[in-house]
Amino acid sequence: MSSRDNILNALRNNVCETYEKPDLTQIKPVVFDNPLEHFKLKATTTAGAKLIEMDTDENLDDIVRRAYPDAKIIASNLQGVTAQLNPDTVNEAQELAAADVGVIQGDFGVAENACVWIPQTMKEKAICFASEFLVILLDKKNIVNNMHEAYERVEASKDYFQQYKFGTFISGPSKTADIESALVYGAQAARGVTIVLV
Amino acid sequence: MSTKHSKYAEDYLKDDPVVDRHDKTFFGVREKRDRMAHDLPEWEQLREAADNIKRHTVTHLADYLEQFEANATKNGIHVHWAKDADEYNDIVLRILQKHNVKKVVKSKSMLTEECHLNENLEKNGVEVIETDLGERILQMMQLAPSHIVMPALHVHREQIGDCFREKIPGTTESNDPTYLTHVARLHLRQQFMEAGAGMTGANFGIASKGEVVVCTNEGNADMSTSMPKLHIVSMGIEKLIPDYSAMAVFQRLLARSGTGQETTVYTSHFRGPRPGGEMHIVLVDNGRSDILGNQEHWQTLKCMRCGACMNTCPVYRRSSGYSYTYFIPGPIGVNLGMLRDSNHYYDNVSACTLCCSCDNVCPVRVDLSKQIYRWRQELDELGHADALKKFMSKRMAWMFNHTGVYNGALSMAKMMNWMPRWILNSKMNPWAYGHEMMKFPKKSFHKIWKKMKDEK
Repeated sequence: MSSRDNILNALRNNVCETYEKPDLTQIKPVVFDNPLEHFKLKATTTAGAKLIEMDTDENLDDIVRRAYPDAKIIASNLQGVTAQLNPDTVNEAQELAAADVGVIQGDFGVAENACVWIPQTMKEKAICFASEFLVILLDKKNIVNNMHEAYERVEASKDYFQQYKFGTFISGPSKTADIESALVYGAQAARGVTIVLV
Repeated sequence: MSTKHSKYAEDYLKDDPVVDRHDKTFFGVREKRDRMAHDLPEWEQLREAADNIKRHTVTHLADYLEQFEANATKNGIHVHWAKDADEYNDIVLRILQKHNVKKVVKSKSMLTEECHLNENLEKNGVEVIETDLGERILQMMQLAPSHIVMPALHVHREQIGDCFREKIPGTTESNDPTYLTHVARLHLRQQFMEAGAGMTGANFGIASKGEVVVCTNEGNADMSTSMPKLHIVSMGIEKLIPDYSAMAVFQRLLARSGTGQETTVYTSHFRGPRPGGEMHIVLVDNGRSDILGNQEHWQTLKCMRCGACMNTCPVYRRSSGYSYTYFIPGPIGVNLGMLRDSNHYYDNVSACTLCCSCDNVCPVRVDLSKQIYRWRQELDELGHADALKKFMSKRMAWMFNHTGVYNGALSMAKMMNWMPRWILNSKMNPWAYGHEMMKFPKKSFHKIWKKMKDEK
């Protein structure tokens, strides 16, 4: 017998008592009077991100320059962003580690924890992690209250996981407290994140 | 009389400042967890839901595993099954050899520790680089983790600085955590670029989607899987949950319970290989299907390895991870060790005051302390009951069954108060070990009770 059948048989034989699937609609999760304001609060405090709102007369290049004036190498595949590296056309993902700033599109934000849902919409997702700093564009109309609403939204969408089979919630810059509990930004991935509310 | 745990703990306790710091560090995490729990009015609803989801999934695991496999295969993922650690190690090695991989970058996975994957790969000429900062520090210092979520908090910055200066060229004299983290960042970046494969664990497997979810704060699992073309996931079969509505519950509980954060920085969903790459998931049993058949202890399978039970445990906080003989310490480790091999890991059963705090913080409501209590009842059957305690229990049972003897002993007991302290607190009296011998009351409870009854 294969290990697969071995394991499945053992699991079926060893179960003592079975339990029904619980009804999760009974959970009454937090909702906010103003989800956008709560998202902003969480993003700039616990998540440790910067937040800027786009002015009507600004274009995306202006915004990136406003967020990171010293950046030399920009990576992006978004229309309207002047970039030296494009995650769709680089030969190897490793090239994206040279990016000072990666500019990516977030789909929606979560008020309770400042997560932003980033479905992979570029060939090399390395841009989301290997760039020194990250700019995430986010439509301020797209804020949900909590993770229950967030996963309902991911579930309902027909677009996610189609071309590229990856998606991630990102809440601020990469963090670690592995050395004597001292909180440090920029462990492995982005050292700083700026969320641009459009 | 002493277990290995109590002996190692005794040694550890000799250094007061170190113990105090360890205690405060982890109690600080526990307090952060409390704030998170109190901030959410629905907290107990979430715990109840998580408990019920896991009960349901674990007792229908075969069905969910088949669903998971079918969906993952549809997504282009190769699914493997390993009944034990040896088979698991072989599968991973075979995949790496097929791709001619010489260096692997790896994010934290307790399963790989359980199966001794790193040693096995190194033996076969594959270099393994741990990429979680804490794990990497320990790997360079050749130390084992002392906690499952914060593995290196027992190591001091000076030791880390010295290690980096020895192993990473160009490291300066500073021991500042920000500086040392930056040194590690640059060092690890090089490893991500060079590695031929990325390995991750899985915090959750989602049956309805055929995908795995990996949660980190550092982004190291994402770095490990963004550059190499080959991604191998190691997943214990109990990590499965049914769907996204369950995932929402666990996402909200995991970081709040483990580190006192509302979320980990990255919650990444892997549903297939990178463009032009390959993705493998190895489903590992290694004793889990046996645990399911253990009526007293099957609920340990609900555990999601958040570490909350360690942070709250007064014994863990004041004895540290190295005092336990199993690689997972704290309340959950005591239980998992016994399930792994009760003849080998029974020493850890003494590492519990039965304060039950772990039961109250566990986000999936594993009855940890009750299970430890049950193990203690089984020690005699296993042949590991302490001889002196066993002798004393038998004598005491005899005494309690003979009223005359009991009353006689009781009236004699207060004479002990007259004995010199140096005799009472000598090694002859195990009751006085580690603390002052108690004073016997002048009147026994029985006498007070009787007197009150008479006065009525």
